[in-house]
Amino acid sequence: MTQITLHIHIDELCLNADINQEAIIEVVEYGIVTPIEGDTLSEWAFDLESAHWIKKAVKLSQELQIDWVATAMVIELMRTKQQLEKENSQLKARLSRLL
Amino acid sequence: MEFKDYYKILGVDDSAELKDIKKAYRKLALKFHPDMNPDAGAEEKFKQVAEAYEVLKNEDKRAEYDEMKRYGSSAEQGFKAPPGWQPSGGNRGGNAGSSADFSDFFNSVFGGASDSFRQSGQQQSHQYKGQDLEMEVPIFLEESVSGLTKTLEYVIPVFDGKQSKQVKKSLKVKIPAGIADGERIRVKGQGAPSHGAGNDDKQLNGDLFLHIRLVPHPLFDVQGINLLLTVPITPWEAVLGTKLEVPTLNGKINLNIPANSHTGKKLRIKGKGLKNKTAQGDMLVIIKIDIPPTTNNETKKLWEQLAEKDQYNPRQDWSN
Repeated sequence: MTQITLHIHIDELCLNADINQEAIIEVVEYGIVTPIEGDTLSEWAFDLESAHWIKKAVKLSQELQIDWVATAMVIELMRTKQQLEKENSQLKARLSRLL
Repeated sequence: MEFKDYYKILGVDDSAELKDIKKAYRKLALKFHPDMNPDAGAEEKFKQVAEAYEVLKNEDKRAEYDEMKRYGSSAEQGFKAPPGWQPSGGNRGGNAGSSADFSDFFNSVFGGASDSFRQSGQQQSHQYKGQDLEMEVPIFLEESVSGLTKTLEYVIPVFDGKQSKQVKKSLKVKIPAGIADGERIRVKGQGAPSHGAGNDDKQLNGDLFLHIRLVPHPLFDVQGINLLLTVPITPWEAVLGTKLEVPTLNGKINLNIPANSHTGKKLRIKGKGLKNKTAQGDMLVIIKIDIPPTTNNETKKLWEQLAEKDQYNPRQDWSN
């Protein structure tokens, strides 16, 4: 059986996603994600939703050549959009049951 | 192989300065980035733009490319690198854009190993980290409650030394009970395989990330850890109250509908929702009053009697 996990350690994230530690520190400092465990940098671990947004933030910052303030804002807006789309779809489904 | 005119892709002159190249890239990147532009073809266009910028922003690569352009752009039967051409290999690491999907043309000029692979420079100088893969996995609500073993079929890019090929793969994955819509699961080492010298280090295989999606249920809606069930009742059941048998995820239960229940009224059934690591959700029954689709003469008369005897006006608060 395959080995599954619900979190990822900072070293694995750096290696797997080809991201340097400095970029992850920026992503955390700008409040885009928060580690789920680890008091020191070398102990940081992230849930997989955060890992997804770290990768997305680093990719956007590089590909669009934007600074971390802009990246944090874009990610916040993307998350809000995603959340609203999900809520909208749930409300539509519930409404259709009442009509 | 088709020759790529990177200057044309970015819409700049051959003599353009770096600041103009950067400006053109930013404009096109914002226009075609897949996170900004959902149109079909935008992602492919963005890849071309990123590839062009990867080359033209770098003085050495640009000089190499210009030399190649003088040699190759006039070829009548497609582009081929000059005899004895040694790819610089300068594409590895430090890409501004995603390097995973650069073209065969790029790989033939600047070295081909970047396709779907990244170098694990800290550990082995000639091994490349396999690409992480992501896939959405739809599961039924009942499966999310009980957990399940699911067989996944997907394709992985495998590099055969010259080019990347798509290979089908099948994998059994145990999805834990209590998984929620939108949650992610990481399957270690089941992404794209590593590549390079000593190609046997499973640690360098990419990972597979599963994004769980709940399939809409015919009866239940999900709100956090609570389940919502819309129950249609007749007007007389709504007025007089009734006892009903309603479904839950683990069997049917009896439910008292109180008298004078209106549409939208919610009845909470403790502990019949979903469960996560810390809490047990409830089921919320939502009342919906359903009018009979047909009315015979007898029942119509009864409704008319009711209309005469009951003076209730639901619109009395409306201003005149």
